[in-house]
Amino acid sequence: MIEKETLSKVVGARHVSLGPAALEAYSADVSFVNSVRPACVVRPKNAAEIGEIVRLANETRTPLVPVSSGPPHFRGDTVPGTGGAVVVDLSRMRKVVFVDRPRRVAMVEPGVTFGALIPQARKKGLRLNMPLLPRMTKSVVGSLLEREPVTMPKYQWDISDPLACTGLFFGNGDVFRTGQAAGPGTVEEQWKVGGMQKAPYGPGTASWHRLIQGAQGTMGIVSWASLRCELLPAIEEPFVVNAPEPGPLLEMARWLIRLRAVNECFILNDTALAVIGADPWPGGYERLRKSLPPWTLFYTVAGYEYLPEERVGAYLEDIAPLAQRLGLQPSRTAGDLSSGDLLKTVQGPSPDPYWKLRPRGACQDVFFLTTGDRLADQIDRMARLAGETGYPASGLGVYLQPVVQGTGYHCEFHLFYDPGDARERECVRTLSSKATRVLLDRGAFFSRPYGETAGMVFNRDAASVAVLHKLKNIVDPNGIMNPGKICF
Amino acid sequence: MALSREIYSAFEDVVGREHISDDPAMMPAYHQVQFAAIVLPENTAEVQAVVRLCNRYTLPFQAVCTGWTGAFPKDILYIDLRRMNRIVEINEKGMYAVVEPYVITAQLQAELFRRGLHMNLKGAGSNCAAMLRGHGHLDQTTSGDDRNHLAIEWVTPAGDIVRSGAAGSTGAWFCGDGPGPSLRSILTSAVPPGVTPGVFTRAAIKLYHWPGPVQFPIQGVSPKYTLRQVPPNFMARYYSFPSVEKMWRAEIKLGENEIAFELMGFNVSMVASNITTSNEEDEKVFQQMQGEVQGPGFFVILAGNSAADFAYKKKVLDQIIRENDGRSLKSVEDPEVEGILLCQCIRVTASIRETFRAGGAFSSIPVMGQRDLTIRWAVGAGRAKEPLIAKGLIVDDGGAFFGWGVEQGHLGKTEIFCKFDPANPKAKEAVERWQKEQSERAFVERYFAMTMGPQDAVGPALANYHLWWRKVTEAIDPNHVSPEAGALV
Amino acid sequence: MGLEQYKGDMAMCCRCSCCKFIPLQRVEGHPYSTVCPSIARFDFHAYSGGGRLNIGTAMLDGSLEYTDKLLDIVYNCQMCGACGVSCNYAMDMQVQEPINEIRIRCVGDGKTHPALDGAIRRLRKQGSMVPASGPRGAWASGLGLKNIATARADVLLHVGCLTSYDKSRHALARAAAKILRKGGVDFAIAGDDEACCGGRAYQMGYERDFLRQARKNMAMIKKAGVRTVVTACADGYQAFKVLYDKYGLKKDLEVLHITEYIDRLLQSGELRLRRSVDLAVTYHDPCRLGRLGEPWIHWEGKKMPGDRFVFDPPREYRRGTFGVYEPPRNVLRSIPGLRLSEMTRIKEYAWCCGAGGGVLESNPEFALWTARERMEEAASTGAAAIVTACPWCEKIFRHAAASSGCGLEVYDIVELVARAL
Repeated sequence: MIEKETLSKVVGARHVSLGPAALEAYSADVSFVNSVRPACVVRPKNAAEIGEIVRLANETRTPLVPVSSGPPHFRGDTVPGTGGAVVVDLSRMRKVVFVDRPRRVAMVEPGVTFGALIPQARKKGLRLNMPLLPRMTKSVVGSLLEREPVTMPKYQWDISDPLACTGLFFGNGDVFRTGQAAGPGTVEEQWKVGGMQKAPYGPGTASWHRLIQGAQGTMGIVSWASLRCELLPAIEEPFVVNAPEPGPLLEMARWLIRLRAVNECFILNDTALAVIGADPWPGGYERLRKSLPPWTLFYTVAGYEYLPEERVGAYLEDIAPLAQRLGLQPSRTAGDLSSGDLLKTVQGPSPDPYWKLRPRGACQDVFFLTTGDRLADQIDRMARLAGETGYPASGLGVYLQPVVQGTGYHCEFHLFYDPGDARERECVRTLSSKATRVLLDRGAFFSRPYGETAGMVFNRDAASVAVLHKLKNIVDPNGIMNPGKICF
Repeated sequence: MALSREIYSAFEDVVGREHISDDPAMMPAYHQVQFAAIVLPENTAEVQAVVRLCNRYTLPFQAVCTGWTGAFPKDILYIDLRRMNRIVEINEKGMYAVVEPYVITAQLQAELFRRGLHMNLKGAGSNCAAMLRGHGHLDQTTSGDDRNHLAIEWVTPAGDIVRSGAAGSTGAWFCGDGPGPSLRSILTSAVPPGVTPGVFTRAAIKLYHWPGPVQFPIQGVSPKYTLRQVPPNFMARYYSFPSVEKMWRAEIKLGENEIAFELMGFNVSMVASNITTSNEEDEKVFQQMQGEVQGPGFFVILAGNSAADFAYKKKVLDQIIRENDGRSLKSVEDPEVEGILLCQCIRVTASIRETFRAGGAFSSIPVMGQRDLTIRWAVGAGRAKEPLIAKGLIVDDGGAFFGWGVEQGHLGKTEIFCKFDPANPKAKEAVERWQKEQSERAFVERYFAMTMGPQDAVGPALANYHLWWRKVTEAIDPNHVSPEAGALV
Repeated sequence: MGLEQYKGDMAMCCRCSCCKFIPLQRVEGHPYSTVCPSIARFDFHAYSGGGRLNIGTAMLDGSLEYTDKLLDIVYNCQMCGACGVSCNYAMDMQVQEPINEIRIRCVGDGKTHPALDGAIRRLRKQGSMVPASGPRGAWASGLGLKNIATARADVLLHVGCLTSYDKSRHALARAAAKILRKGGVDFAIAGDDEACCGGRAYQMGYERDFLRQARKNMAMIKKAGVRTVVTACADGYQAFKVLYDKYGLKKDLEVLHITEYIDRLLQSGELRLRRSVDLAVTYHDPCRLGRLGEPWIHWEGKKMPGDRFVFDPPREYRRGTFGVYEPPRNVLRSIPGLRLSEMTRIKEYAWCCGAGGGVLESNPEFALWTARERMEEAASTGAAAIVTACPWCEKIFRHAAASSGCGLEVYDIVELVARAL
C-alpha cells in the first residue's frame, strides 16, 4: 500500500481521501458487485501525477482503480475487486484541451463530461457522436474507453469510434500514446505543424487503442483522449416511426443506415421512450407511455453547408418509398411526444435525475451486441424470462441501437427497480444473471461484460482469454490495474 | 536447407503429397527464395496442424495469400494459402462477408454487386486478397486500414485457434472486438514490419451499399474495355486546381458534405496510365494532359442512390469546384474515358498500369493519417524531387504526389514516389538519398514517422511501440516459429 | 536468340497473380473467375504464367537444374495464352513467347516427355500427330474434290491430322467441303499428300520438327500456286497464320478459319442458311483461333536506355485483341432457330479446352479435368450443347461429356452449318 504521505506529496494532501464517507462512496455502486472498500482515493491533476501514482503502485504492489466519471456508477468496474486498492479519481482533470473544427477532432482530459464538451464543440460548429443520454457526470473519455454505442451509426465506421488517440500510462508505469499522437515529438510539437492527433491506428501496425478500450481500467490509466467530431448540421429534420413490433422498424433502420440517409437512428420501446420523454416526471410518465406505440424508431435527416434543404429533400424522397414498402409511416409524433422534442433531448446528456434512475431509483442494464435476425427471439426470450422471474415485462425498457454502420445492434434491456426493496433487488439480480446465460445461448454477444456475469461470458472463449492474459502480463506485469475485473 | 525425410513426411501427412514440395524448381516462383518447403493447406484444421508441426520441429513459417512482392528469410516453411479460397458467407442484412485468404477482391466484389453491395478495394488492385487490411481508391466511402475488419480467425504461432469478438463467443462474425479489450489491437496486416505472427485463416469484412449495376456494361476486347454506357446516377471527373491549397479546400469540402463516392487524389500521370493501353500511349496522353491541367487535382466518382440524390450531389460538386477555381479535365468528360475510369477505379484499381507497366523501379513514401498534414509535408517532398528530375535521374511526373480522402475526409492517405532506372547507380543513390532526407524531414518537423524501416531507429520516438510489439510477439510466439516477414498482399 | 531475348520481359513480372484470373473487370462472381488451368489444377505458383517466367529467369541465370518437378511444371501447361492476355491488359511485356521458348529449350536440352517424344516419332514416321490408319485423304472418298497435285485452285482446304485419321470425324471434313461447295468456292484439297501443319509439334516444344512441317507445307503451297488456306482446325489455323509468319515462311498467303470463310460467304450472300436448327448452344472459343490466332507482329528494335521498359521502335504486343471471335458468333447467329448464350469466360479470356500444349498426350487426366471444368461452365448457361471450332476441342469435350454425364451435346460449328444448309 502506498503511504498517505507519499501520495500527498504527489497530488497534495487535499486530494487524498481516507475518510469513511469518501471511501464508502467508492466501495459500491448501483450494480450487484460485492462491496469492497478502497484503501484511499486520490485525485491527480495532471498526467505527471498519474504517472507517479502508477510508479508507486508498482513499487508497493498496490491495486489501482481508475475512475473518470462521477457517480452514480452502474457497471461495477469502478468498485475495487480486491482490498487495499487506491481509487484514482480523475475528475479533477477537466480540461478541454482543444476543439479543432478543420480536422473535426477534440481532445479532452478524463474528467470532462458531455455536458462540458458539447457547448465547446458547438461553438466551433461541431457535435459529438454520443451515447444515448449519458448522465451529467459521465466522462467523455470513460464513455469512449467503454466502447459505448453511439446514436449516429452512420458516423461510426469502426467499433472504436469516435475514439481517436489516447495518452496513457500502462500498468507498468510506462507512458504511451496511441495512434497519430505517438509521435514524432510531443503533442505540443505536433500541434505546431498542424498535427491534431486524429488517426487512431498505430504506432506501427498494431492498433493499441483497441487494447485500452473495453479493458475497464485493467491495462492502464488514460490521461487524455482525442475524439472524432462531426459537423453541426445546418438543418435537421427528426422523424419517428411507430410499430407494434420491432421487426419492420429494424428493417427500415437497416436501409436508412445502409443508404447513409440519417444521422441519429435508434429504436426504443414504449417504456424506455416514456422514461426518457416524460415531462413532468413522474406525473407525465404513465400518460405518455399509454399514448406511445409499443415500438418507436427515431431518426434525423440533416443538411449541411451546401444546399441543406435540397439534401434533406433528396433523402426524404428516397425514404418515402422505403417506408411505404414496409407499411410504415414516418411522422413527427410518437404518441404525445414530438420528434423535435426527442431530438433536443438526445443531443445532450440526461438532465438530473439520470433518466435510468427516474422510474424506481435504480437500474440494471442487460446489454449485448447482436444481429438483426436474432433480435426478435432475444427480445421475446427476455420478456419471458422477466415473467418467469416475476419482473413485469411491461416494465422492461428496451433500447436498440444499430452500430458500426449497421453491421450489428446494441440491444439494451433496462431493469428498473427500487434499490430499497430487497425483493425487487433480488428479482433483478436473478433476472440479470439468468438473462445473460440464456441470451448467450441465443447468440447474444456480451462484448462488454461487467460485474457478476462477466465470468460466464469470458468462460465461453478460453482461446481469446488466453491471449488477453498474455497481453495483460506485458502491460501490467505486476497486476496492479483494477485486479478482479473482466477476466483478470 | 532441405527438410529431413521424417519432417517432410509429417507435413505430407497433413496436406497430402500433392500439396507439399521442396523441389528447387518451385522456388524461383516463390520470390526466388530457397524455402524449406511450400505447403498448401486446404482449411483451418490443416493450417493448425502445420503450425503445430512447425512448433514441434522449431521450423519457422510464414503464411501468404496471393504473395504479390514479399520479403522472406530462406529455409522457412512457406504456407501458400491458395487452396483456402472460399467465400464462406455474405450476410446482406448484416453488411459483412466472411472469406478465406485466397478469395481475391474481384471475386468477392462481383458476388457483392449482385446483392447491391460492395467493399473496400486495396489500391494495389482487385487481384489482392479480399481479407487483407489495406487502403485504396474507395476509402472515402469504404474506409480503410484495419477499420474494415470485423471478426478474424487466427491460428496463433503456437497452433491455437483464436476467433476474435463474437466469432469466439457465439460463432457469429459481425463483431471482432471483445469480450473486453479487443484482440484486433494485435491482429494486424501482412505487410512487414509489424506482421502479426501466426496465420489468419478467415476474416469478416464490412460491406457497403452499391448503387450501381449488377455488372458494369463492359464492351470491347482486352486491353481496351469500355462501357456501353455510364451507369445511371454515376459520373466520373478529374479536376485540377491552381494551387494545393485550393485543391485541399475543395477536397475537404467534398468530404464534409459527403458528396463523393470515390475521391482519389491522382496526378495526371496516373490518370494517363489508367486510360491507356501501352507505355507509349501513356507517355503521349500524359504530355497532352499535363498541358491541360492548371495544377494539382483529384479524381471524383459520384454515385447517387437515386436520381434525386445524384442531382443534389452533382450540384454541390459543381459549386465546390467553382468556388475553388477548379477545372474539369476535358478528356475525362468523354463518356468513353469516363467509363474506362469508372471501371478501373471501382473494379480493378489502377496500380499495375500506374506502377509497374513502365518498368524500372520506384521508391515511395506512403503515409496514412491526417491528410492536410501529410499533404503539407508532401509538397516539400515533391519540391525536393525537382533537382533529380532536372538531372534526369528520375521520371518527370511534375514532382507530383497523390493520395485520397478516407471516411469522408476524416482521415487520408498521401504518397509520393520516384520512378528510376535501378541499373543506374547515380539514380539509385539519389533516390535513396531523397527518401532518407524526406523521411527524416517528416520526422524532424513532426509530420509523421516512417515505421516501415528499421524499428529500433524510429521506435523510441513513437512511445517505444517497437519494444511493446516485440514483447507481444515474444509472448504469442515463444518458440520463434513465426518470423517477421510477409508479402504485400 | 531463344529464351535470352525475353530476359527483360521475364524480369518485368511483378507477381501480381493477374495471370491466374480472367481480366478483373470481367469477373462476374467467384465461379469461372480463373483462367489458367495449370495453376487451377496444381495450385503451386510455379504453374502460373508468372511462375513460369520466374523459372525462365532462373534457367537463364543458370541457377536452376532440371528435375522431374521442373519438367512436370513445364509440360503441364496447355500453352493456351490466357496468362498473357490477362497480364497484357496492364503490362507491356511478352508472356507467351518466353513460355514457348522455355518449352523449346527443354526439348533442345533433351528434357522431353516420353509421351510427346512418342507423338513426334509418329509425326516423323507417319507425318501425323495421331496414329495414321489408312490414307490421309480417305475422308474425301466419293466427293470428287479437286486435288492440288493435279488441279489448280486458289483455295486449299487443309483438313488436319485428327479429322483426317479419325473416322468418326470424317463427317466434319465432309461438312466443311460441302459448305464451301455450296458457297461456290473453288477449292482443292491435298488429300493423301496433306502434311501435318506442325502446330502441335511447336506447342510441344519441338521447334525443328515444326519447321520441317512448315517448310514442307509452304513448298507444296507455293508449287500449287495456292493463295488462301482455309482450315477447320484451330491448331492448323494458328500454325499457318501465325507461326509460319513468325518464322518468315507465310509470305502473302491468306489464312482463314472455316468460320471466317463462312462468315464472308454469308455476308456476301453467296451462302444462305435456310434450315432451322432448334438448339440452345454456347460457343467455346478455341485458344488458337481466338487469342493465339491473332496475326504475328514482326518487330525488331531495342530497349531504350533508362528506367522504362520501352523500345525503339515502340514494341507492339499481341494481347489477344485481334483473335477470331466474331465470325464464329456471326455464323451461329445466322443459323435459323439456333439460340446462342455466352459463358462467362469467352473470347480473349476463354478457358482452354485442355487439349493443347501436348497435355492431351502427356497428361490426359489433366486435359480431361480441364475439359470437364469447361463443360460445367457450359452447362451453367442453360444451353443444351457446346459448339466449338476445332476438332481437338471437340474431341476432348466429347470425352468430358461422356465421362461426366453432364448431358451436354457437343458439336463442331461446321456440323451445325451443314445442317442449316
